Amino acid sequence: MIRRLGLVAGRELLAERRQPDGLVAAVTFIALLVLLESLVVGPVSARQPAVAGALFWIALAFAAILAATRSFDRELEDDALDAIIALPGGRDALFAGKVLALTAVLAIVGAVGGVLSLVLLDLEVALAGHLLLVTALGVLALPTVVVLDVVLALRLRARAALVPILALPVLIPQLVAATQGSASALSGDATGSLGWSALLLAFAFVYAVLGFTIVPAAIE
Amino acid sequence: MTTTTFPRALVLRVRPWLGIAAIAAASISTYMSLLWAPPDAMQGDVYRIMYVHVPSAWLAYLAFIVVFLASVGWLWTRQRWFDAVAVASAEIGVLFTALALVAGSIWAKPTWGVWWTWEPRLVTTAVMFVMYVGYLLLRNLSTDFVRRASRAAVLGIVLVVDVPVVHLSVLWMNSLHQLPTVLRASGGPSLDSSMLATLLVSVAAFTLIYAYLLAARVGIELRRHERIGALRDG
Repeated sequence: MIRRLGLVAGRELLAERRQPDGLVAAVTFIALLVLLESLVVGPVSARQPAVAGALFWIALAFAAILAATRSFDRELEDDALDAIIALPGGRDALFAGKVLALTAVLAIVGAVGGVLSLVLLDLEVALAGHLLLVTALGVLALPTVVVLDVVLALRLRARAALVPILALPVLIPQLVAATQGSASALSGDATGSLGWSALLLAFAFVYAVLGFTIVPAAIE
Repeated sequence: MTTTTFPRALVLRVRPWLGIAAIAAASISTYMSLLWAPPDAMQGDVYRIMYVHVPSAWLAYLAFIVVFLASVGWLWTRQRWFDAVAVASAEIGVLFTALALVAGSIWAKPTWGVWWTWEPRLVTTAVMFVMYVGYLLLRNLSTDFVRRASRAAVLGIVLVVDVPVVHLSVLWMNSLHQLPTVLRASGGPSLDSSMLATLLVSVAAFTLIYAYLLAARVGIELRRHERIGALRDG
């Protein structure tokens, strides 16, 4: 199982390296959203820790949806999905591999978006280690829910609209925790950032268990 | 193909009795809510909307927990009636969540001075409403029965995580909303006995209405399955 999971994730990342359209689209998207949102709310408001955190995490959630959708589109274009599913344990490996690969892609997208936000908004980071912890846990908490919702909407008409409708409400607790945790780390509240980190970890764990237990049943 | 004759026959048998019980309980509940229960010392008669708002919110929880259980049942057994229960309960749950939001909003205007405020219970309830609208949307966009039922079941299991979040949000975050007065971790209900009795009768009446609507909707869904099966078999 672990070997098959590694194969799917490795194949996904290799495809992304050879033809990085999903990664490039997600990075461009997050950069554009961070710029656009900061411009719309104004630099003074955008520099407030809670606002800066919210802008970053909302942009990252949309980038995750974009990257996951693109990843499954590539499988459908190449007719590769049926072959993976036909393998013994293929459904589990497909879901887990996609989650793993999306986590890696999101880590890169998050790093680029985070550095952009820090530089462009000239943010002062009071607790850099805590900010890294919150960001890492936030990046872990998003992919399971996003891949789950892309799988549920696979091969359906209106999929582009359906995935955000299904994913964003489920992601609200994670987005609130990540935003508040980032704001606490930026403003020097160590207890706050650790508390929100624990909540992120809890949600990442709950959805990982749920996802790996039941989602393979929905893959045809 | 799995037969649906037995569950549908059962539904048809219990539905009229549920209807009679629901009408009787709703009549008693209306009398108690509007005439028997005393006015509140602080809010006067405005508080009486609680007898619609609280049972609606309770039914929303119940309906979405039933969706969860029916979803587990479908994934476990692949019996079609589990899927019929899930869709029926989700539709009724969405209806009662909307009713809870509207009733809460009508109560909030004279009490808080606004129709809507960004406090945790309201926002999490609105999010729950949107989640289950998405659930119904997912069902409507899929045409193949087994595929639709399996995908909806997975989503029905995932979404139930929001139900305790809604209930406990007033305890976890600073909230303008009233704290739980009946299901309290720190002891029994904190309501006046006549108000509590009226509230419990209202909850019972709404639960019977839910059971009737569920039986009616499950009957329709199972009939639809039978027709599709008959058409397929020629």
